[in-house]
Amino acid sequence: MADDVRTEKDFAPAADAPLVPPSPPGMEELARAGEAAAGTVTGIPGRTRAERVRTVVVYALLFGIALLYFVPFLWTATTSLKTLPETAYFRLLPEHPTLDAYRNVFTEFDFARYAGNSVALATVVTLLNVFLCSLGGYAFARLNFPGREVLFMVVLATLMVPDQLRFVPIFVKFTDWGLMGHYHAYVLVKLAAAAQLFLMRQYFLTIPKDLEEAAKLDGAGYFKTFRKVMLPLAGPAIAAVAILEFEGVWNDFFWPLVIFTSEPSHFTLPVGIFQFRSEYISQWPELMAGTVIAIAPIAALYIFFQRYFVAGVASAGVKG
Amino acid sequence: MAATATAARTGETNIGGDRLKEALIGYAFIAVPMLVYGVLFLYPIVYAIYISRYDWGVFGKLDERGWGNYSELVDDDRFRIAIKNGLKFTVAFTILSMALGLFVAVVVNNAIRWRGFFRSAFYFPAISGSAAITAIALYILSADGLFNRLTGLDHAWFGESDTALWAIVGLNSWTTSGTVMLFYLAYLQAIPTDVYEAAAIDGAGAWRTFWKVTFPLLKPGHFFVSTLLVIGGLKMFDQAFIASGGTGGPNNSTLVPVLYLYRVAFSDVRFGSAAAVGLTLMLLMFALTLIQRLTFGRGDRA
Repeated sequence: MADDVRTEKDFAPAADAPLVPPSPPGMEELARAGEAAAGTVTGIPGRTRAERVRTVVVYALLFGIALLYFVPFLWTATTSLKTLPETAYFRLLPEHPTLDAYRNVFTEFDFARYAGNSVALATVVTLLNVFLCSLGGYAFARLNFPGREVLFMVVLATLMVPDQLRFVPIFVKFTDWGLMGHYHAYVLVKLAAAAQLFLMRQYFLTIPKDLEEAAKLDGAGYFKTFRKVMLPLAGPAIAAVAILEFEGVWNDFFWPLVIFTSEPSHFTLPVGIFQFRSEYISQWPELMAGTVIAIAPIAALYIFFQRYFVAGVASAGVKG
Repeated sequence: MAATATAARTGETNIGGDRLKEALIGYAFIAVPMLVYGVLFLYPIVYAIYISRYDWGVFGKLDERGWGNYSELVDDDRFRIAIKNGLKFTVAFTILSMALGLFVAVVVNNAIRWRGFFRSAFYFPAISGSAAITAIALYILSADGLFNRLTGLDHAWFGESDTALWAIVGLNSWTTSGTVMLFYLAYLQAIPTDVYEAAAIDGAGAWRTFWKVTFPLLKPGHFFVSTLLVIGGLKMFDQAFIASGGTGGPNNSTLVPVLYLYRVAFSDVRFGSAAAVGLTLMLLMFALTLIQRLTFGRGDRA
């Protein structure tokens, strides 16, 4: 029985599959880097001359980097509050701030519809994948069944298949099946993301077995044990998967473009932005308003759930 | 009390039946994902090979071409341009993202106030969607945009064939550097502090310590990050597609491999050739990863 227990290493892409990039620093490592970064402020400035110089240099660099990273967003936000003539002037803040651009993209252009599509698709895919990936991850982590290792290799192998290879055959088949231009075609393409299933499995492996064994002895069935015992314990992993999926679908440009090209009423925000950009290239306030609408929800999520986004970076290693 | 209950229960149960039940439940739990992977990952690879051997148009299969769709790529000027652009982009993007990401990581790794805040803030561009970010870049890098006003330069950065690809390199390096920073921060935290102490005792300054101590110790980080970036760079599509309005222009200067693939499929409606391009690109990506692994990766990681 003990030999049967697989460690993380046994399934880590780096160890088994030569073509997958080496495993990234784990979620915990990244989290630790974050905690350490957030918590410790040592070196009170001004102990020695050299240290003082160093501190000044570091803060100057930080300030420079912050400008580089934030001025574009600031410029975008303020432009969305300008009128088109005002964009001709080199001025950060609008003289007469107005929400006209937002009103225009919502009424004259279809951004309300695009936003609705984005919300609906991201929500549906997220819920389905949290369910499917946690269930599948649990089975791969905890249940014994013949062929488990081989099937898990299949899961890992799918991570190596780039979407650029999949989309031609999928486009041809979906056209045959009459799925093109439908919402559920998109959901199908995004269903049961292997990276998230992998993430859930890794998390379930870290949960001690005692608890579920106790539940089993109490006569709880497998699904009940999963739902009542394991799922509540997997909160952080579920949050990470949910955030990752929502962000992934919300920002996805490629698949909505492929699947909804012939169906403008199904466009999501990213495709809507592209469409708008192609037709009205220099309507800057409207384009920037659309951009703010596309970024704001993710920004809000990020403010509240930062560490789960960071956990997502760790899994980027398996995403390839 | 509990122990006797345990004994009683395990005594009663039929071990063989339990095993079978567990196996069936295991299959049930993974059924939907495995079905999806079969139909939407494994089958498409096989089907792509099949399609790639035909002339394949809007209404499906036409003539069988053998390996013709592959051999014609050799003489296809646009394919050659796409590969050249892809490699140019990937090399520049990888180097610039790593340099910028490492630089930011080293700055943020200092004992500074609000370190967690800065770390999170610099990661923000990385989680903003490609379409939104590209729209911002189109505005800022337009002929009368912010960038030209601040620098005094005068280019329509996405509109000129000499600058368009480099504008995308800059844009993607900017967004990706946040991710690179997070990885390097994790690797930096893993370096034991006594090596810095040793360097300090030897009288090495910050600059020298970085190049002689920190940089070489980050080798596993360099390898890991560069592998991700090379693959990511070869797959780049969104920014080139959006910036060029889907054409790969001006003058094919932003025609990167995946954009070429997209155009063969949807503008030329030659699905056979597109499938051949897709398979060729996948093999190219695997080969590059393998080469990278053999040259840099040996012995760094177990």
